[in-house]
Amino acid sequence: MNKFRKAIMALFLVSLWGGWAPAWPADLRILYLNDFHGFAEPYQPPGSKEMLGGVSYLAAAADRLRREKPTLFLAAGDMLQGANWANLFQGRSCIELMNAMGFDAMTAGNHAFDYGQQVLKQRISQAKFPVLAANVAGGLPFKPYVVQQVGGVKVGIIGVVTEDTPVATHPKNVAGLKFTRPEDAVRRYLKEVREKSDIVVVLSHLGLEADQALAASVPGIDVIVGGHSHTKLLQPLIVGPTIIVQAWEHAKALGVLDLTVADGKITSFDGRLEEIKPAAGREDRKVQRIVTYYARKVDSRLGKTVGRTEVDLDGRTEQVRSRETNLGDLVADILREKSSADAAIINGGGIRTSIGKGKITIKQVYAVLPFDNYLVAIRLTGRQVKQVLEHGVSSLAEPAGRFPQVSGLSFVYSRSAPVGERVKEVAIGGYPLDPDKEYVIATNDFLAAGGDGYQAFGDAIRAAGDYSDLGGALMSQNLVYNDPGTWLRDLVIDYLNARRKITPKVEGRIKELD
Amino acid sequence: MQVYVNETPVDLMPGMKVRHALIQAGLLKEVESGRCKVWDAWGNEVGLDGALSHGLKIYVK
Repeated sequence: MNKFRKAIMALFLVSLWGGWAPAWPADLRILYLNDFHGFAEPYQPPGSKEMLGGVSYLAAAADRLRREKPTLFLAAGDMLQGANWANLFQGRSCIELMNAMGFDAMTAGNHAFDYGQQVLKQRISQAKFPVLAANVAGGLPFKPYVVQQVGGVKVGIIGVVTEDTPVATHPKNVAGLKFTRPEDAVRRYLKEVREKSDIVVVLSHLGLEADQALAASVPGIDVIVGGHSHTKLLQPLIVGPTIIVQAWEHAKALGVLDLTVADGKITSFDGRLEEIKPAAGREDRKVQRIVTYYARKVDSRLGKTVGRTEVDLDGRTEQVRSRETNLGDLVADILREKSSADAAIINGGGIRTSIGKGKITIKQVYAVLPFDNYLVAIRLTGRQVKQVLEHGVSSLAEPAGRFPQVSGLSFVYSRSAPVGERVKEVAIGGYPLDPDKEYVIATNDFLAAGGDGYQAFGDAIRAAGDYSDLGGALMSQNLVYNDPGTWLRDLVIDYLNARRKITPKVEGRIKELD
Repeated sequence: MQVYVNETPVDLMPGMKVRHALIQAGLLKEVESGRCKVWDAWGNEVGLDGALSHGLKIYVK
Protein backbone atom coordinates (compact mmCIF):
# COMPACT_ATOMS: atom_id res chain seq x y z
CA MET A 1 0.00 0.00 0.00
CA ASN A 2 2.80 2.38 0.92
CA LYS A 3 4.57 1.59 -2.33
CA PHE A 4 1.35 2.23 -4.23
CA ARG A 5 0.92 5.60 -2.53
CA LYS A 6 4.51 6.52 -3.23
CA ALA A 7 4.06 5.62 -6.89
CA ILE A 8 0.96 7.80 -7.13
CA MET A 9 2.78 10.65 -5.40
CA ALA A 10 5.74 10.26 -7.76
CA LEU A 11 3.44 10.40 -10.77
CA PHE A 12 1.79 13.49 -9.36
CA LEU A 13 5.10 15.24 -8.76
CA VAL A 14 6.38 14.33 -12.21
CA SER A 15 3.27 15.81 -13.77
CA LEU A 16 3.67 18.95 -11.67
CA TRP A 17 7.33 19.50 -12.42
CA GLY A 18 7.43 18.95 -16.10
CA GLY A 19 7.03 15.33 -17.01
CA TRP A 20 3.59 15.05 -18.57
CA ALA A 21 0.58 17.06 -19.41
CA PRO A 22 -2.01 16.46 -16.74
CA ALA A 23 -4.73 14.17 -18.04
CA TRP A 24 -7.13 15.50 -15.42
CA PRO A 25 -8.50 19.01 -15.62
CA ALA A 26 -6.11 21.61 -14.23
CA ASP A 27 -7.17 25.17 -13.51
CA LEU A 28 -4.93 28.12 -14.08
CA ARG A 29 -5.37 31.86 -14.30
CA ILE A 30 -3.65 34.37 -16.54
CA LEU A 31 -3.56 37.94 -15.28
CA TYR A 32 -2.53 40.46 -17.88
CA LEU A 33 -1.69 44.11 -18.31
CA ASN A 34 -0.71 46.06 -21.42
CA ASP A 35 0.18 49.63 -22.38
CA PHE A 36 0.82 50.73 -18.81
CA HIS A 37 3.02 53.59 -20.10
CA GLY A 38 4.21 54.46 -16.62
CA PHE A 39 0.79 55.59 -15.34
CA ALA A 40 1.63 54.55 -11.80
CA GLU A 41 -0.70 56.91 -10.01
CA PRO A 42 -4.48 57.18 -10.40
CA TYR A 43 -5.55 59.91 -12.81
CA GLN A 44 -8.68 61.39 -14.29
CA PRO A 45 -8.72 60.47 -17.99
CA PRO A 46 -10.04 63.12 -20.42
CA GLY A 47 -13.81 62.97 -20.42
CA SER A 48 -14.00 60.84 -17.27
CA LYS A 49 -15.73 62.06 -14.12
CA GLU A 50 -13.69 59.85 -11.81
CA MET A 51 -10.16 58.85 -11.01
CA LEU A 52 -9.08 55.55 -12.54
CA GLY A 53 -6.01 53.36 -12.37
CA GLY A 54 -3.29 53.36 -9.77
CA VAL A 55 -0.88 50.50 -10.03
CA SER A 56 -0.74 49.85 -6.29
CA TYR A 57 -4.48 49.11 -6.39
CA LEU A 58 -3.95 46.91 -9.41
CA ALA A 59 -1.18 45.05 -7.59
CA ALA A 60 -3.50 44.41 -4.63
CA ALA A 61 -6.18 43.07 -6.98
CA ALA A 62 -3.59 40.86 -8.67
CA ASP A 63 -2.47 39.46 -5.32
CA ARG A 64 -6.05 38.67 -4.33
CA LEU A 65 -6.69 36.91 -7.63
CA ARG A 66 -3.40 35.04 -7.48
CA ARG A 67 -4.31 33.52 -4.13
CA GLU A 68 -7.37 31.86 -5.67
CA LYS A 69 -5.59 29.59 -8.16
CA PRO A 70 -2.25 28.97 -9.89
CA THR A 71 -1.52 32.11 -11.87
CA LEU A 72 0.68 33.60 -14.56
CA PHE A 73 1.08 37.37 -14.64
CA LEU A 74 1.89 38.68 -18.12
CA ALA A 75 2.66 42.11 -19.59
CA ALA A 76 1.89 42.68 -23.26
CA GLY A 77 4.24 45.59 -23.92
CA ASP A 78 4.65 49.37 -23.69
CA MET A 79 5.19 49.27 -19.97
CA LEU A 80 8.28 51.51 -19.73
CA GLN A 81 7.60 54.80 -21.53
CA GLY A 82 4.96 57.52 -21.44
CA ALA A 83 4.27 59.38 -18.19
CA ASN A 84 6.90 61.42 -16.35
CA TRP A 85 6.95 58.69 -13.70
CA ALA A 86 8.52 56.43 -16.31
CA ASN A 87 10.32 58.82 -18.64
CA LEU A 88 12.39 60.68 -16.07
CA PHE A 89 14.00 57.36 -15.12
CA GLN A 90 14.05 55.89 -18.62
CA GLY A 91 11.77 53.06 -17.49
CA ARG A 92 13.88 52.01 -14.47
CA SER A 93 10.97 52.81 -12.14
CA CYS A 94 8.66 50.55 -14.15
CA ILE A 95 11.01 47.58 -14.05
CA GLU A 96 11.37 47.94 -10.28
CA LEU A 97 7.60 48.02 -10.00
CA MET A 98 7.14 44.97 -12.19
CA ASN A 99 9.76 43.02 -10.26
CA ALA A 100 7.89 43.78 -7.04
CA MET A 101 4.59 42.75 -8.61
CA GLY A 102 5.96 39.36 -9.67
CA PHE A 103 5.41 39.46 -13.41
CA ASP A 104 6.25 36.19 -15.15
CA ALA A 105 7.00 37.53 -18.63
CA MET A 106 6.79 40.68 -20.72
CA THR A 107 6.87 41.22 -24.44
CA ALA A 108 8.67 44.25 -25.82
CA GLY A 109 6.41 47.03 -27.02
CA ASN A 110 7.37 49.49 -29.75
CA HIS A 111 8.01 52.15 -27.09
CA ALA A 112 10.50 49.88 -25.29
CA PHE A 113 13.05 51.12 -27.82
CA ASP A 114 12.47 54.83 -27.21
CA TYR A 115 15.35 55.25 -24.77
CA GLY A 116 17.86 53.59 -27.09
CA GLN A 117 19.29 50.10 -27.16
CA GLN A 118 21.82 50.60 -24.38
CA VAL A 119 19.13 51.58 -21.89
CA LEU A 120 16.89 48.77 -23.07
CA LYS A 121 19.69 46.27 -22.47
CA GLN A 122 19.98 47.58 -18.90
CA ARG A 123 16.25 47.27 -18.35
CA ILE A 124 16.23 43.70 -19.64
CA SER A 125 19.10 42.82 -17.31
CA GLN A 126 17.30 44.44 -14.36
CA ALA A 127 14.06 42.56 -15.00
CA LYS A 128 13.49 39.48 -12.86
CA PHE A 129 11.27 38.11 -15.63
CA PRO A 130 12.04 37.23 -19.25
CA VAL A 131 11.57 39.92 -21.88
CA LEU A 132 10.33 38.39 -25.12
CA ALA A 133 10.50 39.39 -28.79
CA ALA A 134 10.66 36.48 -31.21
CA ASN A 135 10.55 38.74 -34.27
CA VAL A 136 13.44 41.05 -33.39
CA ALA A 137 16.94 40.07 -34.44
CA GLY A 138 20.06 42.02 -33.56
CA GLY A 139 22.04 42.87 -30.47
CA LEU A 140 19.37 42.85 -27.78
CA PRO A 141 19.07 39.99 -25.29
CA PHE A 142 15.43 39.18 -25.96
CA LYS A 143 14.21 35.64 -25.60
CA PRO A 144 11.90 34.42 -28.37
CA TYR A 145 9.85 32.39 -25.94
CA VAL A 146 9.76 30.93 -22.47
CA VAL A 147 7.97 27.94 -20.98
CA GLN A 148 6.46 28.52 -17.55
CA GLN A 149 4.99 25.81 -15.35
CA VAL A 150 1.88 26.74 -13.42
CA GLY A 151 -0.49 24.43 -11.56
CA GLY A 152 0.93 21.43 -13.34
CA VAL A 153 0.41 23.00 -16.77
CA LYS A 154 3.33 23.93 -18.96
CA VAL A 155 2.57 27.21 -20.70
CA GLY A 156 4.71 28.18 -23.68
CA ILE A 157 4.80 31.94 -24.18
CA ILE A 158 6.03 33.46 -27.45
CA GLY A 159 6.54 37.23 -27.55
CA VAL A 160 6.08 39.42 -30.64
CA VAL A 161 6.14 43.17 -31.22
CA THR A 162 4.70 45.22 -34.04
CA GLU A 163 6.69 45.17 -37.24
CA ASP A 164 5.99 48.92 -37.49
CA THR A 165 8.32 49.66 -34.58
CA PRO A 166 11.05 51.18 -36.81
CA VAL A 167 8.66 53.93 -37.91
CA ALA A 168 7.27 54.47 -34.43
CA THR A 169 10.54 55.52 -32.84
CA HIS A 170 13.68 57.42 -33.85
CA PRO A 171 15.71 55.39 -36.40
CA LYS A 172 18.80 55.47 -34.18
CA ASN A 173 16.89 53.51 -31.54
CA VAL A 174 16.49 50.53 -33.85
CA ALA A 175 19.74 50.74 -35.81
CA GLY A 176 21.09 47.27 -36.51
CA LEU A 177 17.87 45.54 -35.47
CA LYS A 178 15.71 43.58 -37.86
CA PHE A 179 11.98 43.34 -37.28
CA THR A 180 10.41 40.41 -39.08
CA ARG A 181 6.77 39.58 -39.66
CA PRO A 182 5.22 38.43 -36.35
CA GLU A 183 3.37 35.60 -38.14
CA ASP A 184 6.65 34.24 -39.47
CA ALA A 185 8.27 34.39 -36.05
CA VAL A 186 5.35 32.64 -34.37
CA ARG A 187 5.32 29.95 -37.08
CA ARG A 188 9.07 29.49 -36.66
CA TYR A 189 8.88 28.78 -32.93
CA LEU A 190 5.40 27.30 -32.57
CA LYS A 191 6.30 23.63 -33.16
CA GLU A 192 9.29 23.81 -30.82
CA VAL A 193 7.24 25.52 -28.11
CA ARG A 194 4.31 23.18 -28.59
CA GLU A 195 6.55 20.18 -28.03
CA LYS A 196 7.63 21.60 -24.68
CA SER A 197 4.24 22.90 -23.56
CA ASP A 198 0.66 21.95 -22.89
CA ILE A 199 -0.74 25.22 -24.17
CA VAL A 200 0.75 28.05 -26.20
CA VAL A 201 0.23 31.73 -25.43
CA VAL A 202 1.37 34.49 -27.78
CA LEU A 203 2.19 37.62 -25.83
CA SER A 204 1.60 40.18 -28.52
CA HIS A 205 2.15 43.87 -28.98
CA LEU A 206 0.51 44.02 -32.40
CA GLY A 207 -2.96 45.49 -31.82
CA LEU A 208 -6.32 43.73 -31.81
CA GLU A 209 -6.79 43.67 -35.58
CA ALA A 210 -3.38 42.09 -36.13
CA ASP A 211 -4.01 39.65 -33.29
CA GLN A 212 -7.15 38.44 -35.06
CA ALA A 213 -5.24 38.07 -38.31
CA LEU A 214 -2.50 36.16 -36.50
CA ALA A 215 -5.01 33.79 -34.93
CA ALA A 216 -6.68 33.22 -38.29
CA SER A 217 -3.45 32.60 -40.18
CA VAL A 218 -1.39 30.58 -37.68
CA PRO A 219 -3.15 27.49 -36.33
CA GLY A 220 -2.08 26.16 -32.97
CA ILE A 221 -2.14 29.29 -30.81
CA ASP A 222 -4.31 28.73 -27.75
CA VAL A 223 -4.33 32.27 -26.33
CA ILE A 224 -3.18 35.68 -27.54
CA VAL A 225 -2.61 38.21 -24.77
CA GLY A 226 -2.42 41.46 -26.70
CA GLY A 227 -1.69 45.15 -26.48
CA HIS A 228 -0.82 48.17 -28.65
CA SER A 229 -4.36 49.15 -29.70
CA HIS A 230 -5.32 50.06 -26.08
CA THR A 231 -8.51 48.04 -26.48
CA LYS A 232 -10.92 47.64 -23.59
CA LEU A 233 -11.81 44.08 -24.45
CA LEU A 234 -14.40 43.28 -21.81
CA GLN A 235 -14.78 39.65 -22.86
CA PRO A 236 -12.34 37.35 -24.66
CA LEU A 237 -12.61 37.40 -28.42
CA ILE A 238 -12.62 34.02 -30.14
CA VAL A 239 -11.05 33.42 -33.55
CA GLY A 240 -11.25 29.73 -34.45
CA PRO A 241 -9.78 27.91 -31.46
CA THR A 242 -7.80 30.94 -30.28
CA ILE A 243 -8.79 33.10 -27.31
CA ILE A 244 -7.75 36.76 -27.64
CA VAL A 245 -7.64 39.16 -24.68
CA GLN A 246 -6.44 42.70 -24.02
CA ALA A 247 -6.74 44.99 -20.97
CA TRP A 248 -7.20 48.61 -22.14
CA GLU A 249 -4.40 50.95 -20.99
CA HIS A 250 -2.65 52.85 -18.19
CA ALA A 251 -3.41 50.29 -15.46
CA LYS A 252 -7.10 51.23 -15.63
CA ALA A 253 -7.97 47.54 -15.89
CA LEU A 254 -6.49 44.20 -14.96
CA GLY A 255 -7.25 41.32 -17.30
CA VAL A 256 -8.31 37.98 -15.84
CA LEU A 257 -8.47 34.82 -17.94
CA ASP A 258 -9.32 31.54 -16.21
CA LEU A 259 -8.51 28.36 -18.09
CA THR A 260 -9.16 24.70 -17.51
CA VAL A 261 -6.63 22.49 -19.25
CA ALA A 262 -6.74 18.73 -19.78
CA ASP A 263 -4.67 16.56 -22.11
CA GLY A 264 -2.87 19.58 -23.48
CA LYS A 265 -6.06 21.36 -24.46
CA ILE A 266 -8.13 24.18 -23.06
CA THR A 267 -11.45 22.61 -22.16
CA SER A 268 -13.09 25.74 -20.76
CA PHE A 269 -12.34 29.37 -20.16
CA ASP A 270 -13.80 32.49 -18.62
CA GLY A 271 -12.42 36.00 -18.97
CA ARG A 272 -13.12 39.50 -17.74
CA LEU A 273 -11.56 42.87 -17.00
CA GLU A 274 -11.41 44.16 -13.46
CA GLU A 275 -11.58 47.95 -13.58
CA ILE A 276 -9.03 49.56 -11.28
CA LYS A 277 -9.94 52.58 -9.16
CA PRO A 278 -8.30 54.10 -6.12
CA ALA A 279 -9.87 53.11 -2.81
CA ALA A 280 -8.44 54.09 0.54
CA GLY A 281 -6.70 51.22 2.31
CA ARG A 282 -6.89 48.87 -0.66
CA GLU A 283 -3.46 49.47 -2.12
CA ASP A 284 -0.54 47.09 -2.10
CA ARG A 285 1.76 48.83 0.36
CA LYS A 286 4.99 47.47 -1.05
CA VAL A 287 4.10 48.65 -4.54
CA GLN A 288 2.78 51.96 -3.21
CA ARG A 289 6.15 52.60 -1.56
CA ILE A 290 7.81 52.27 -4.97
CA VAL A 291 5.21 54.54 -6.57
CA THR A 292 5.68 57.16 -3.88
CA TYR A 293 9.47 56.91 -3.94
CA TYR A 294 9.66 57.66 -7.65
CA ALA A 295 6.85 60.24 -7.50
CA ARG A 296 8.96 62.18 -4.99
CA LYS A 297 11.96 61.80 -7.25
CA VAL A 298 9.85 63.19 -10.11
CA ASP A 299 9.10 66.27 -8.01
CA SER A 300 12.76 66.60 -7.16
CA ARG A 301 13.84 66.19 -10.80
CA LEU A 302 11.30 68.74 -11.96
CA GLY A 303 12.95 71.28 -9.70
CA LYS A 304 16.35 70.69 -11.28
CA THR A 305 17.91 73.65 -13.08
CA VAL A 306 18.76 72.88 -16.71
CA GLY A 307 19.87 76.30 -17.88
CA ARG A 308 19.62 80.02 -17.48
CA THR A 309 17.99 82.74 -19.55
CA GLU A 310 19.38 86.26 -19.59
CA VAL A 311 16.01 87.61 -20.74
CA ASP A 312 12.34 86.94 -20.05
CA LEU A 313 11.02 84.22 -22.37
CA ASP A 314 7.67 85.42 -23.66
CA GLY A 315 5.02 82.71 -23.81
CA ARG A 316 2.04 84.88 -22.87
CA THR A 317 -1.09 83.57 -24.57
CA GLU A 318 -2.05 86.78 -26.34
CA GLN A 319 1.54 87.25 -27.55
CA VAL A 320 2.43 83.79 -28.93
CA ARG A 321 -0.96 83.70 -30.65
CA SER A 322 -0.58 87.03 -32.41
CA ARG A 323 3.09 87.82 -33.07
CA GLU A 324 6.64 86.52 -33.02
CA THR A 325 8.03 86.04 -29.52
CA ASN A 326 11.50 85.06 -28.37
CA LEU A 327 10.16 81.88 -26.74
CA GLY A 328 8.39 80.95 -29.97
CA ASP A 329 11.65 81.53 -31.84
CA LEU A 330 13.58 79.41 -29.34
CA VAL A 331 11.26 76.39 -29.53
CA ALA A 332 11.06 76.60 -33.33
CA ASP A 333 14.86 76.90 -33.54
CA ILE A 334 15.31 73.76 -31.44
CA LEU A 335 12.95 71.78 -33.69
CA ARG A 336 14.68 72.97 -36.84
CA GLU A 337 18.14 72.24 -35.46
CA LYS A 338 17.24 68.80 -34.13
CA SER A 339 15.73 67.67 -37.44
CA SER A 340 18.23 69.52 -39.67
CA ALA A 341 15.23 71.00 -41.47
CA ASP A 342 15.31 74.07 -43.69
CA ALA A 343 12.73 75.77 -41.50
CA ALA A 344 10.32 75.13 -38.65
CA ILE A 345 6.71 76.18 -38.25
CA ILE A 346 4.83 75.54 -35.01
CA ASN A 347 1.55 76.78 -33.57
CA GLY A 348 1.72 79.55 -30.99
CA GLY A 349 -1.05 77.76 -29.11
CA GLY A 350 1.36 74.96 -28.26
CA ILE A 351 3.31 77.33 -26.00
CA ARG A 352 1.42 77.71 -22.76
CA THR A 353 3.33 80.05 -20.49
CA SER A 354 6.39 82.27 -20.04
CA ILE A 355 9.67 81.79 -18.20
CA GLY A 356 11.14 84.72 -16.34
CA LYS A 357 14.76 85.82 -16.56
CA GLY A 358 17.05 83.64 -14.45
CA LYS A 359 17.41 79.92 -13.93
CA ILE A 360 15.20 77.52 -15.89
CA THR A 361 13.92 74.36 -14.22
CA ILE A 362 12.57 71.23 -15.88
CA LYS A 363 9.19 72.03 -14.34
CA GLN A 364 9.12 75.39 -16.13
CA VAL A 365 9.89 73.77 -19.48
CA TYR A 366 7.14 71.22 -18.87
CA ALA A 367 4.72 74.06 -18.13
CA VAL A 368 5.64 75.79 -21.39
CA LEU A 369 5.16 72.58 -23.41
CA PRO A 370 2.74 70.41 -21.39
CA PHE A 371 1.38 68.41 -24.31
CA ASP A 372 2.81 65.07 -25.38
CA ASN A 373 3.80 66.35 -28.79
CA TYR A 374 6.74 65.13 -30.81
CA LEU A 375 8.91 66.34 -33.66
CA VAL A 376 8.23 65.56 -37.30
CA ALA A 377 9.76 67.06 -40.41
CA ILE A 378 7.97 66.95 -43.72
CA ARG A 379 9.00 67.81 -47.23
CA LEU A 380 6.77 70.59 -48.58
CA THR A 381 6.88 72.58 -51.78
CA GLY A 382 7.33 76.32 -51.50
CA ARG A 383 3.71 76.63 -52.55
CA GLN A 384 2.64 74.45 -49.62
CA VAL A 385 4.83 76.43 -47.22
CA LYS A 386 2.96 79.55 -48.23
CA GLN A 387 -0.35 77.73 -47.71
CA VAL A 388 0.76 76.81 -44.20
CA LEU A 389 1.63 80.42 -43.41
CA GLU A 390 -1.60 81.70 -44.96
CA HIS A 391 -3.51 79.37 -42.67
CA GLY A 392 -1.43 80.54 -39.72
CA VAL A 393 -2.53 84.15 -40.23
CA SER A 394 -6.07 83.40 -41.39
CA SER A 395 -7.68 84.18 -38.05
CA LEU A 396 -6.39 87.49 -36.75
CA ALA A 397 -9.49 89.11 -35.29
CA GLU A 398 -8.39 87.77 -31.94
CA PRO A 399 -5.33 85.75 -30.83
CA ALA A 400 -5.58 82.20 -32.22
CA GLY A 401 -3.62 79.05 -31.43
CA ARG A 402 -2.85 78.55 -35.11
CA PHE A 403 -0.71 81.71 -35.29
CA PRO A 404 2.75 80.48 -36.33
CA GLN A 405 6.11 80.75 -34.62
CA VAL A 406 8.90 80.10 -37.09
CA SER A 407 12.57 79.36 -37.52
CA GLY A 408 14.75 79.49 -40.63
CA LEU A 409 12.17 81.54 -42.44
CA SER A 410 10.74 85.01 -42.37
CA PHE A 411 7.54 86.42 -43.77
CA VAL A 412 5.52 89.59 -44.04
CA TYR A 413 1.73 89.60 -43.86
CA SER A 414 -1.08 92.07 -44.25
CA ARG A 415 -3.86 91.96 -41.70
CA SER A 416 -6.22 93.86 -43.98
CA ALA A 417 -5.80 91.57 -46.99
CA PRO A 418 -8.37 88.82 -47.62
CA VAL A 419 -7.83 85.43 -46.01
CA GLY A 420 -5.57 83.37 -48.25
CA GLU A 421 -3.81 86.44 -49.66
CA ARG A 422 -2.28 87.88 -46.52
CA VAL A 423 1.25 86.49 -46.81
CA LYS A 424 3.25 88.84 -49.01
CA GLU A 425 6.91 87.93 -48.76
CA VAL A 426 8.49 84.70 -47.59
CA ALA A 427 12.18 83.86 -47.35
CA ILE A 428 13.79 80.59 -46.31
CA GLY A 429 17.44 80.60 -45.42
CA GLY A 430 17.57 84.21 -46.53
CA TYR A 431 16.35 83.48 -50.08
CA PRO A 432 12.91 84.21 -51.51
CA LEU A 433 10.56 81.26 -51.39
CA ASP A 434 10.49 79.26 -54.63
CA PRO A 435 6.95 77.86 -55.06
CA ASP A 436 8.23 74.81 -56.92
CA LYS A 437 11.22 74.01 -54.77
CA GLU A 438 10.97 71.41 -51.99
CA TYR A 439 11.83 72.38 -48.42
CA VAL A 440 12.06 70.28 -45.29
CA ILE A 441 9.83 71.85 -42.65
CA ALA A 442 9.97 70.80 -39.01
CA THR A 443 6.77 70.93 -36.99
CA ASN A 444 4.96 68.97 -34.31
CA ASP A 445 2.71 65.94 -34.69
CA PHE A 446 -0.36 68.00 -33.74
CA LEU A 447 -0.05 70.23 -36.81
CA ALA A 448 1.06 67.30 -38.96
CA ALA A 449 -2.19 65.55 -38.05
CA GLY A 450 -4.21 68.59 -39.09
CA GLY A 451 -4.49 70.25 -35.69
CA ASP A 452 -5.56 73.91 -35.56
CA GLY A 453 -6.86 73.35 -39.09
CA TYR A 454 -3.44 72.93 -40.75
CA GLN A 455 -3.91 70.70 -43.80
CA ALA A 456 -0.78 71.18 -45.91
CA PHE A 457 1.40 68.77 -43.91
CA GLY A 458 -1.10 65.94 -44.32
CA ASP A 459 -1.53 66.84 -47.99
CA ALA A 460 2.21 66.49 -48.53
CA ILE A 461 2.26 63.04 -46.96
CA ARG A 462 -0.79 61.99 -48.96
CA ALA A 463 0.77 63.32 -52.17
CA ALA A 464 3.78 61.06 -51.68
CA GLY A 465 1.51 58.09 -52.32
CA ASP A 466 2.29 54.70 -50.87
CA TYR A 467 4.92 54.38 -48.22
CA SER A 468 8.19 52.95 -49.41
CA ASP A 469 10.00 50.11 -47.67
CA LEU A 470 13.33 51.46 -46.45
CA GLY A 471 15.26 48.63 -44.86
CA GLY A 472 12.16 47.05 -43.44
CA ALA A 473 10.68 50.34 -42.22
CA LEU A 474 7.72 51.82 -43.99
CA MET A 475 8.38 55.51 -44.52
CA SER A 476 6.64 58.09 -46.62
CA GLN A 477 8.99 59.76 -49.05
CA ASN A 478 7.88 63.14 -47.74
CA LEU A 479 8.27 62.25 -44.07
CA VAL A 480 11.87 63.16 -43.34
CA TYR A 481 11.97 63.00 -39.55
CA ASN A 482 9.62 61.24 -37.15
CA ASP A 483 10.33 60.56 -33.48
CA PRO A 484 7.10 59.66 -31.68
CA GLY A 485 9.03 58.49 -28.63
CA THR A 486 10.53 61.84 -27.57
CA TRP A 487 8.41 64.74 -26.40
CA LEU A 488 9.24 68.27 -27.55
CA ARG A 489 9.77 69.43 -23.97
CA ASP A 490 12.54 66.87 -23.58
CA LEU A 491 14.25 68.20 -26.71
CA VAL A 492 14.14 71.66 -25.18
CA ILE A 493 15.63 70.33 -21.95
CA ASP A 494 18.43 68.61 -23.88
CA TYR A 495 19.11 71.87 -25.72
CA LEU A 496 19.24 73.89 -22.49
CA ASN A 497 21.45 71.31 -20.82
CA ALA A 498 23.89 71.64 -23.70
CA ARG A 499 23.82 75.46 -23.89
CA ARG A 500 23.32 76.31 -20.20
CA LYS A 501 22.83 80.03 -20.97
CA ILE A 502 20.51 81.52 -23.60
CA THR A 503 19.56 85.03 -24.71
CA PRO A 504 16.90 84.66 -27.40
CA LYS A 505 15.45 87.82 -28.84
CA VAL A 506 12.76 88.70 -31.35
CA GLU A 507 14.50 88.87 -34.71
CA GLY A 508 11.84 90.22 -37.01
CA ARG A 509 10.98 86.84 -38.53
CA ILE A 510 7.30 87.76 -38.68
CA LYS A 511 6.35 91.29 -39.73
CA GLU A 512 2.96 92.88 -40.12
CA LEU A 513 2.65 95.25 -43.06
CA ASP A 514 -0.05 97.63 -41.91
CA MET B 1 -1.63 55.25 -43.64
CA GLN B 2 -5.30 55.80 -44.13
CA VAL B 3 -7.83 55.02 -41.43
CA TYR B 4 -11.54 55.72 -41.16
CA VAL B 5 -13.25 57.80 -38.51
CA ASN B 6 -17.00 57.35 -38.63
CA GLU B 7 -16.48 55.92 -42.15
CA THR B 8 -14.65 59.07 -43.32
CA PRO B 9 -11.06 58.46 -44.48
CA VAL B 10 -8.23 60.37 -42.81
CA ASP B 11 -4.55 60.22 -43.76
CA LEU B 12 -1.97 59.89 -41.03
CA MET B 13 1.75 59.37 -40.70
CA PRO B 14 3.27 56.13 -39.46
CA GLY B 15 3.21 55.89 -35.69
CA MET B 16 0.23 58.20 -35.31
CA LYS B 17 -2.49 57.12 -32.93
CA VAL B 18 -6.22 57.36 -32.32
CA ARG B 19 -5.71 60.88 -30.96
CA HIS B 20 -4.22 62.04 -34.28
CA ALA B 21 -7.07 60.52 -36.27
CA LEU B 22 -9.55 62.44 -34.13
CA ILE B 23 -7.59 65.68 -34.57
CA GLN B 24 -7.73 65.17 -38.33
CA ALA B 25 -11.44 64.39 -38.14
CA GLY B 26 -12.11 67.37 -35.84
CA LEU B 27 -13.57 65.12 -33.16
CA LEU B 28 -10.96 65.17 -30.40
CA LYS B 29 -12.82 67.69 -28.29
CA GLU B 30 -15.96 65.56 -28.43
CA VAL B 31 -14.04 62.76 -26.73
CA GLU B 32 -11.96 64.87 -24.35
CA SER B 33 -15.09 66.56 -23.09
CA GLY B 34 -16.63 63.21 -22.25
CA ARG B 35 -19.52 63.63 -24.69
CA CYS B 36 -18.33 60.70 -26.81
CA LYS B 37 -16.04 57.68 -26.66
CA VAL B 38 -14.00 55.97 -29.32
CA TRP B 39 -14.95 52.47 -30.46
CA ASP B 40 -13.37 50.00 -32.82
CA ALA B 41 -15.18 48.08 -35.56
CA TRP B 42 -15.96 45.25 -33.13
CA GLY B 43 -17.64 47.50 -30.58
CA ASN B 44 -14.77 47.75 -28.10
CA GLU B 45 -13.77 51.04 -26.50
CA VAL B 46 -10.22 52.12 -27.39
CA GLY B 47 -7.93 54.66 -25.74
CA LEU B 48 -6.73 57.87 -27.36
CA ASP B 49 -3.18 56.52 -27.44
CA GLY B 50 -4.22 53.32 -29.17
CA ALA B 51 -2.21 52.31 -32.22
CA LEU B 52 -3.75 52.37 -35.68
CA SER B 53 -3.08 50.38 -38.80
CA HIS B 54 -3.86 51.05 -42.43
CA GLY B 55 -7.54 50.58 -43.20
CA LEU B 56 -8.66 50.41 -39.55
CA LYS B 57 -12.09 51.80 -38.76
CA ILE B 58 -12.90 53.64 -35.56
CA TYR B 59 -16.08 55.33 -34.50
CA VAL B 60 -16.78 58.31 -32.27
CA LYS B 61 -20.18 58.12 -30.60
